[in-house]
Amino acid sequence: MNKLRLRSLLAFLFAFALIAAACGSDSDTASDDGGSSDDSSSSDDDGSSDDSSGDDGAASGLEGTLRVLIHQNPPGVEFFESFNDDFEAANPGVNVEMAVVKADDIPTVNQTRLNANDIDVTTISVTGFDKAVQPYMSDVDTPFWQQLIEAGLLMDLSDQPYVQNYDEAAIADGSFDGGVYSLGLGRTIYSGVFVNLDLLADVGIDVPTTWDELVSACDAVTDAGFKCMIAGGQDGWPVFVGTYGLLGALYPDQAGMVEGLWTGDLKWNDERGLELFDRYATYADMLDAESAGLTGDSAGPRFAAGDVAFGPMGAWMAGPIDDAASFEWTYIPFPGADDAADNQTFFGKYDMSLAVAAETPVADIAHAYLAAFSDPATYNDFANATNYLPTQPTAELSNTLGAATAPILQQGNFAIGQEQLYVNPKGAGQWAIGREAALWLYNGDFGDPVEAANQVQADLESGLAG
Amino acid sequence: MAATQQRNLFGGGRQLIYPWLLLLPGLGFYLLIGVGPSLATAIYSFTDATGIRNIPISWVGFDNYDEFLFQGARSRDNLDALQRTLIFMVLVTVIQFGIGLVMALLVNQKLRGRLVFRTLFFVPFILGVAVQGLMWKLFLRPGGGPMDDLFGLLGMESQFLAGTNAFYWVIVVQIWANAGFTMVIFLAGMQTIPTDLFEAAAVDGASGWQLFKNVTWPQLTPAVNTNFLLNIIGSLQAWMLFLVLTGYKKGVQVLGYVVYAEAFGQTGTATFRQGYAAAASIVLFILVLVLGMAANAFVTRRERKYL
Amino acid sequence: MTTVNPVEAGSTVGVDLSAPPPPSASSRERRTRIFSYALLLILAVIYLAPVLVLIFASLKSLPEFFQDPTGLPEGLETANFTEAWSLANFPNYLLNSLIYTVVATSAFVIMSVFLAFPIARGYVKGAGAILTLYVVALFLPPALIPQFQLILNLGLVNTRPGYILLFLINPIGLIILVNYIKSIPRELDESAAMDGCGYIRFVWSVLMPLIRPAIATVTVIHAIGIWNELILATVYLTSDDLYPITRGLIVFEGVYGSDWPKLAAAVLMLMAPMLVLYLFLQRYIISGLTSGAVKG
Repeated sequence: MNKLRLRSLLAFLFAFALIAAACGSDSDTASDDGGSSDDSSSSDDDGSSDDSSGDDGAASGLEGTLRVLIHQNPPGVEFFESFNDDFEAANPGVNVEMAVVKADDIPTVNQTRLNANDIDVTTISVTGFDKAVQPYMSDVDTPFWQQLIEAGLLMDLSDQPYVQNYDEAAIADGSFDGGVYSLGLGRTIYSGVFVNLDLLADVGIDVPTTWDELVSACDAVTDAGFKCMIAGGQDGWPVFVGTYGLLGALYPDQAGMVEGLWTGDLKWNDERGLELFDRYATYADMLDAESAGLTGDSAGPRFAAGDVAFGPMGAWMAGPIDDAASFEWTYIPFPGADDAADNQTFFGKYDMSLAVAAETPVADIAHAYLAAFSDPATYNDFANATNYLPTQPTAELSNTLGAATAPILQQGNFAIGQEQLYVNPKGAGQWAIGREAALWLYNGDFGDPVEAANQVQADLESGLAG
Repeated sequence: MAATQQRNLFGGGRQLIYPWLLLLPGLGFYLLIGVGPSLATAIYSFTDATGIRNIPISWVGFDNYDEFLFQGARSRDNLDALQRTLIFMVLVTVIQFGIGLVMALLVNQKLRGRLVFRTLFFVPFILGVAVQGLMWKLFLRPGGGPMDDLFGLLGMESQFLAGTNAFYWVIVVQIWANAGFTMVIFLAGMQTIPTDLFEAAAVDGASGWQLFKNVTWPQLTPAVNTNFLLNIIGSLQAWMLFLVLTGYKKGVQVLGYVVYAEAFGQTGTATFRQGYAAAASIVLFILVLVLGMAANAFVTRRERKYL
Repeated sequence: MTTVNPVEAGSTVGVDLSAPPPPSASSRERRTRIFSYALLLILAVIYLAPVLVLIFASLKSLPEFFQDPTGLPEGLETANFTEAWSLANFPNYLLNSLIYTVVATSAFVIMSVFLAFPIARGYVKGAGAILTLYVVALFLPPALIPQFQLILNLGLVNTRPGYILLFLINPIGLIILVNYIKSIPRELDESAAMDGCGYIRFVWSVLMPLIRPAIATVTVIHAIGIWNELILATVYLTSDDLYPITRGLIVFEGVYGSDWPKLAAAVLMLMAPMLVLYLFLQRYIISGLTSGAVKG
């Protein structure tokens, strides 16, 4: 009986393979046909004003539901909630349905919802369009925002007047192939460190300006019974802030560094690379053990409690810290270089870039929404609430972060960081993205920095060779 | 006993059609949602499909398999994930089997409060991965969580779900969550054992261990087999806990998670590679099939030995 | 107490490992008993500890939690519950989970019985082949990718019917039903047919009650699977109104994950109805899970 069963099983597997050949091509063509038929019927109903779009926010007579997606960022979400209420009040026929997801889930949710034509205004990317494939790169995967544009799922906004409210660099960041596909609502710094000035004064030390000063400041702080640094170690990525600071300090030309890694002129385990990894290890040690249990969002309030000297965190954390802290603080570039003059640049990215679905049935509402948001006064409030460095030339940060960062930013010392510029070669191993290595040293994935640097370089080369 | 066609006893005419007619919805959905897509996976695996509509799909032959299994350090990571999938399966199957059996033996005795214990052990199973996972995320919170405190007392240190041993902590949670199910199946098996078998053996002066070895264990065969198969198949395909507990973390993922992450842009590189992911899931399929058949053969042999 | 205890009706059969009667065994019996209790208590601690920690956390304010994440709460901070309750639509999540579970499970079970019966009896051509198709499918990986394309092209992504559709299949369930039906004697069909009972009536009112244990098993296994599903909910449901508990909780975690007291309160609030439901249905769930599953 057993033999019989096995034989029928095998026969069946064979039949399976045959059916596979037949059915599969069936379902393939089915998916090609069905693609366009979806929602097109429902979209024509409100044939009101498709071209009057984008006027100055005073749009009236709009009717319908606008589906908006943004990523988690407490002050940003709060701002959008109240902005949505205002927008609904100004346009009584409009209902805004906003969904909030983790930043990690943004690609997934975009894929699903844009595919299903189930979203109107979406946060297309948390990294901007910088991550473009460079001429010297070969055999890499197309980044997802490019896939979406090439599939015609995003709307070209170039003709919309509100786009012009943003500065040139921001528009360029949202452009691809001659079109403007996203509005970068802000620049954010991911390489800075919050400093508790009162605590440093208590301990009797100055704000560190070089790596050596940071190291000795840390010692002094811990000797005095305080904690040196905390970060949101539980989420992993918040640890990158100090990491990116060190990376920027040692490799001020971040785009050049990416090219160097691709061409082989630079190696993670050459002299400077090893120096970087050595500092990564020191940085990992500086982080208080408590960090491992903190999420990204809770690290700021924790820093605000007052017994921690340094908070390597993104500038977006300024709001929660300001709300809760009862001490004087400032925000400086991570002092990772030996020369104070080299620690004068903030590195970061464009964040919360909004895009419009190409096939949205409510394009007029979507444009009115973005126009209202882009209104200089509204935008200025947004920037101040979220602590994004404004991408509208007229907006200004008038809060503590604005004051702290002004001296550096007025010099034009903001640069896009490596995270936005680097593209991993296909086939590279999981450790190839060496800028993140401080986290691995912190987590204990690697015992010592040299071992980590060698592994990173090997994993990268394995991809470059393929 | 392969079913051969039998005469329909319910008369002719409409009664002859009914079996077919009423069977169709079930079979139809199965083919449409289950078998069809499963087979299409194989086809997808030979394409560069992204899963984004309007992007043309082209054939790439065995490229996806080649990349998955042989290209660069990436393939090393994939094979590691494959190995981890197997380790997960073996550890979960064996340990959960053992703990479930011990639990069943314990609560099957005439002890006070055994119903409470039984409920307690089984309840996690019905809570679902979201609740199970979040509960343990709090319990294993590094930097001051309960387990961290306990480790501190013992002079040990761990980053738990953030550290290198995260994989093993997920196994712990997986077993915690599902051992109760194994226990319940065993209990049911024990209830079918006739008491006179024990009486007879006891009269012969058999000890507790001998009773277990000579009566309980052989009589449990159907339950043992059910558990064995369910554990193997279940653990090979289970990775939802990884999603909740660790996210897509280096050195932790199992193959099922790799498939999902590659297909739906969760790898951190934010690219959608459904063709590649399909190839990965075919590799997983072959693994499950081979192991499932081996397990089935093992179980069949056991059945013959004991029954 | 030297005789083997009689079997309690309706509950666990008293298979006491140390049951044998010799008088000298009583001290051994006591030792076994103490050992068993000790082991049970250790297990109980492992099973209860995470729940207790969760309850403690839910009763702390956030600053208190940061100072002492593990210990007993100082006061009873019930604000976490009310705040968490107002932040997310938990009743809706529960309702969704219930709808998905009940609708998909009943539809699946009814379709499966009508599928399993003719297969088990061989009343249709190719019954063996169909069954093999199900056996092989046990091992198939979830066909996530093409399935997604299928549902997408049917325009059913992010809809209740689309999500329910995904749960109308379950190979294990069908196999359990087929095996159980095989144990029902064919003579029954014959006599029913002689009595002039039609096919549909036979299956519905004669067969169904007879295979109730197997139906219970399939129902429970299938229902728990749907109730627990997270991946499909993540892929197919994008709107908050449609989230089941699992997805709702994880999204809540994504937004409020830094506030453990609130998150713990949310977890507890979604756990409570499940526990109550379970305690009410416990007997059916346990017997359901096992009655059809341990048959040879």
